[in-house]
Amino acid sequence: MRINRRSTFLSDPVSDLIDVENREVSVAALHDPDLYELEMERIFAKAWLLLGHESEIPNVGDYVVRLMGEDQVIVARAADGQVHVSLNVCPHRAMHICIADSGNARVHKCIYHGWAFRPDGSFIGAPIEKEKMHGEIKSKEQLGLKKARVTVYGGLVFATWNHDGPTLEDFLGDMKFYYDMLFCRTDGGLEILGPPQRLTIDANWKTAGEQSACDGFHTLTLHQSLLEGGAMAGEENTEHESAPAMYGVNVSGNGHSLRCIPADTSWAMMAGKTHAGMTDDERLELMPPPGITKDLLPQVRKNLSAEQLHVFAKAPPVVGGMFPNVNLLFIYSPLRDGTLGSAMVMHSINPKGPEKFEWVTYFFAEKDTPEEVKAMMRAAATQGTGTSGVIEQDDSDTWPHMSESARGVIGRTETLKYQAILGETRPDDWPDKAKVYSGFSKDDAQWNWWLAYRDLMLAEA
Amino acid sequence: MSISTQITPETSSAVLTEVDYGSPIHDRITGWYIREARLLDHRLLDEWQTYLAEDLVYKAPVRLTRRVQGFDTEFGAIGHFDDDHASMTARVKRLTGTKSAWSEDPASRTRRFVTNISIWETDIPDEYKVSSYLLLTRNRADAKDYKQLSAERNDRLRWNGERFLLSRRTILLDQVVLGMPNLAIFL
Repeated sequence: MRINRRSTFLSDPVSDLIDVENREVSVAALHDPDLYELEMERIFAKAWLLLGHESEIPNVGDYVVRLMGEDQVIVARAADGQVHVSLNVCPHRAMHICIADSGNARVHKCIYHGWAFRPDGSFIGAPIEKEKMHGEIKSKEQLGLKKARVTVYGGLVFATWNHDGPTLEDFLGDMKFYYDMLFCRTDGGLEILGPPQRLTIDANWKTAGEQSACDGFHTLTLHQSLLEGGAMAGEENTEHESAPAMYGVNVSGNGHSLRCIPADTSWAMMAGKTHAGMTDDERLELMPPPGITKDLLPQVRKNLSAEQLHVFAKAPPVVGGMFPNVNLLFIYSPLRDGTLGSAMVMHSINPKGPEKFEWVTYFFAEKDTPEEVKAMMRAAATQGTGTSGVIEQDDSDTWPHMSESARGVIGRTETLKYQAILGETRPDDWPDKAKVYSGFSKDDAQWNWWLAYRDLMLAEA
Repeated sequence: MSISTQITPETSSAVLTEVDYGSPIHDRITGWYIREARLLDHRLLDEWQTYLAEDLVYKAPVRLTRRVQGFDTEFGAIGHFDDDHASMTARVKRLTGTKSAWSEDPASRTRRFVTNISIWETDIPDEYKVSSYLLLTRNRADAKDYKQLSAERNDRLRWNGERFLLSRRTILLDQVVLGMPNLAIFL
């Protein structure tokens, strides 16, 4: 039987679990049901969460149902042309308003008693208007679906229940400089390539969450099969000494982070040649950043600053995440026709209890990419990431082990350790944006993820 | 966002001629499916691969939950698989030729139960459309329970003079949210 220790957390929140001085996190954090409930309240009901992309709902009335924590929300385009996010719970008797996961409806009518709502969440009325079945105590204005605060950024739909908290821009902080390079670089913007993959992983959401914060190190071992297959520029037996893709620039702020892999390394891996001595323009021309085809380069040059273009030329961001539950990959990948292309992937990690999460996978291309290239990018993304991806199927195999370790009364007295410290090291020519860790990929950014977690968990203690 | 409707076997002719149950062709193709399941369950992946045609198209579209009027549009453009012969070869090579394909090391114990095999002739002699039901159980390590998956598979088989080769497979899964953490196995 579990003893309810919630009062302990409230009086002395998370400080027992996160040892700031020694950079350790108790394994119990991957298991505790009371901690999980607090996370739902203090993180998933407060932080900005990724819910999809506006290209999924191009027409008025289009909607998709998504998750904010364990709450279902309706993401819909209303008559005003804007994206609205409303709780998928009828204010009358708590029935789900939408019973499909996507579709088009100008009116969402609850199948239980017929209360009806517009795509913007506002209440239209209950059947038999003259009988006033919503009563007279509350006005129609008070009976709309609960609304989340929405910001569409680079076409990505973010929402939060924290109506008075920081804007999305403040939440992203200095890291927005780098995210703009991924999401806001072409005139047409990103386009989603279809409805997302969804699957269940028997692990605590934080196992995937903390990894998304620049865990470069795991790729050497967990993804060794890719080394054995010749990717990542390593040799099978000497990868620990010679894998150059382990060296790069990790950038981190507010718990968000991205790993920037030197273009020199990528170019040497893909073409067997050196970049040395080339100007930024020449480098970008030779190998545009992941997701960008050569004909889109003029748009990228127009939409980004010289500093951002320099980062692209020197070391484009390729993997990373957004606090608390987004993982992303904007990577180079060979395409079906033998050319060098890319895969652009975003995941959301949706908690489903202390030992379960839903792993949602979105694939993207720039809207102005030729359709045949989009199809090849989608195939490359599917083969590398998500359900059957040869990279990520090994990750999904690992995380449940961590949660199982936390189930043991002794196992959960162990700690997750973030003691390999690189320290802030910003190359002279790197923009002064966010925290910059240049060198071998170490634990710095992942530790920052836990500090951001700790800040939010303590915020209302 | 395009939605494909591959819920029925695709066809170039309006009416397909169904192959009779119990006929020699039906028996031979049913035998092919039993053999395929056996090769996959026994991890004889290199041998399984010899049954894949060079022009293979291998897909498993994601499923959506629609209102009933949209039941035939439940499959999305993105797949859990989006593969061809070259990518399937690479997948098999990773599983059989490396020492670090952790998602299947230790290996899953799988059983593929294949039933409800319907076969149609096509416009091309010696090529058949085949629909089959698949129930797959998957157990790993010391898990006491099974991860399960059910699907309908719409295939195209081509006789090459010696054996049938799989040239197209569309796997129509029954789950919107998969219960297993990956598809490091083949369906």
